[in-house]
Amino acid sequence: MSPHLDLRDVSVSFNGFKALNALNMSVRKGELRCLIGPNGAGKTTALDIICGKVKPSAGTVSFDGTALQDLEEYEIARAGVGRKFQVPSVFRELSVSENLDVARARRTSVLGNLRWNIGNSGREDIERLAELVGLTEQLDRPAAYLSHGQTQWLEIGMLVAQDAELILMDEPTAGMTAQETRKTAELFARLKGKHTLIVVEHDMGFVKAIGDIISVMHMGQMLAEGTAAEVEAHPEVRRAYLGSGGISHA
Amino acid sequence: MPSNAPHSSGLQRLIAQLAPLLIVCAIVFALPVLLNNDFLLNKVARYLVLGILTISLGLSWGFGGILNLGQAMSFGLGSYAMAMALKLKTVPVHTGASGLPDFMVWNNVQHLPWFWEPFRSLTFAIAAGLIVPALVAAALGWFMFRGRVTGVYVSIITLATMVVINLVIIDQQSYTGGFNGITDLAQLEIFGVAFDAYGRATYYLVASCVLLSLLVAFAFTRTKAGLIVQAIRDHESRVRYFGYDVALYQIFVFALSAAIAGLAGMLYTVVMEFASPTFLGVQLSLSVVVWCAVGGRQSLVGAFLGAVLVAGMQGALSESAAFLETWTLVMGALFVLVVLFLPKGLAGLAQVVWRWIVQRRQAAGRGVAQGVGQTEGST
Repeated sequence: MSPHLDLRDVSVSFNGFKALNALNMSVRKGELRCLIGPNGAGKTTALDIICGKVKPSAGTVSFDGTALQDLEEYEIARAGVGRKFQVPSVFRELSVSENLDVARARRTSVLGNLRWNIGNSGREDIERLAELVGLTEQLDRPAAYLSHGQTQWLEIGMLVAQDAELILMDEPTAGMTAQETRKTAELFARLKGKHTLIVVEHDMGFVKAIGDIISVMHMGQMLAEGTAAEVEAHPEVRRAYLGSGGISHA
Repeated sequence: MPSNAPHSSGLQRLIAQLAPLLIVCAIVFALPVLLNNDFLLNKVARYLVLGILTISLGLSWGFGGILNLGQAMSFGLGSYAMAMALKLKTVPVHTGASGLPDFMVWNNVQHLPWFWEPFRSLTFAIAAGLIVPALVAAALGWFMFRGRVTGVYVSIITLATMVVINLVIIDQQSYTGGFNGITDLAQLEIFGVAFDAYGRATYYLVASCVLLSLLVAFAFTRTKAGLIVQAIRDHESRVRYFGYDVALYQIFVFALSAAIAGLAGMLYTVVMEFASPTFLGVQLSLSVVVWCAVGGRQSLVGAFLGAVLVAGMQGALSESAAFLETWTLVMGALFVLVVLFLPKGLAGLAQVVWRWIVQRRQAAGRGVAQGVGQTEGST
């Protein structure tokens, strides 16, 4: 079976610094792939390349047979790619339910969205999503009033609302309590299979809890791939993490 | 049951949001009963028109996050469209045989220029007054928003574009009346109703357009597209990753705002009985920003009231002997105070006061309930 998402020899540099250096990665449909690596390894840049925030200087990105590297961000999103950012990015002046409504991008054209939503169609959908991410009580509050953890949850809920085939998560549990992290792991386990997920994480406990296959990046390249036990035993990985006390303390 | 509850709460919220709008419009329509003075009525009509212009800025600035410092450009284009049509309807007294506008005769123009020709039709002029500003805005928006120009650069570009068009109008005296503008106009007449600038018909025409503009703008903000536009204001790049073409949404709200400003411009010509390059001048354009900020840019009714109140105050101050020299200073101070202490303008203040009243009433209700509980407990 050909891979669902395929990055081939992707390179990108910022002012001479090679953030990605001929990166290769392929992900199967329905897989939950964890992406780890020391700081500056290029994990976030890899996600930026896939969702179109950064254009590669060389290499190709193909998703479901579509070449993504030449498309605009909104075209990539329409092709079925959703992205959660490291700094939670929500619409602060809009209420939680409005945030979720924007994310439900069933129609994307201006004229198609000019109808009046007087019957509150989709309200049930939004309430179900709010329940999923534990924000039922906050539905009518502006997103600006949410705590950091709640904001993270809201953005995760927005990605579920978007219903993208491929979901890219950049440090989704940053700033969450242990309990919130556990709930996130449960949610991801549920999304896996129906969606393809790529999760960048530092929390090894979380990675072990959710990941099938772990990809380890280092200096803009793919260092190793395998199960948690395999990558922890990998000599190159141990060397890359040397000094930071091993992979579990990264 | 659970599916019913959110539905009714949505409807209740709609009514609650529409209430201030309808109350304000009811007052606007009732005003001629109280004001039995044609001169005053004309003055109020003028402020109402400026209110419509400010609604249009509220739409693009408060909801779309696009601070258009050249909003008066659309206003001026609308105003000239109406003036051109009304000029061609005047009975030529001092003019040539072909009914050429007087200023063209003075400038030795022999034939009516081609772009004046279609303005013999009032229908065309009214359509042009809406569509031309919208198209100009859409074209300008295309270049700005496709190029991902944002924030202060949008303000600079819109301001500069307005100044250019203003200078072209002043420069092309033989076709535009130049610095004097287009004066000595015929009365607007639609379906046999004559709209005298000092008549009630004109006032009610303006009032109807206030209602129409508020409803159109409000309806837009309630659509999904209106919601997406607000999302773009909050976090432009985030919206892209949901698959929306941000530039198209910005162009749309920018053009809609320009069309409403064009409508205001046409009405201004009817109320003022002339069109002038000052209608697309920097001073008016910046005043609109002040009105909008004072009223509350994220509230359409607030923006409208801000314009009517502050423009009314400006009018009163600039005519009073005591403030003849200093009224611009008073206006500047007002703007600074509002920006510092009322970031959401008068509308924000009204909201805070309203919430405080509701909370107090709820607290009082709870207090009574508690009191009852205590007495029950003691017996």
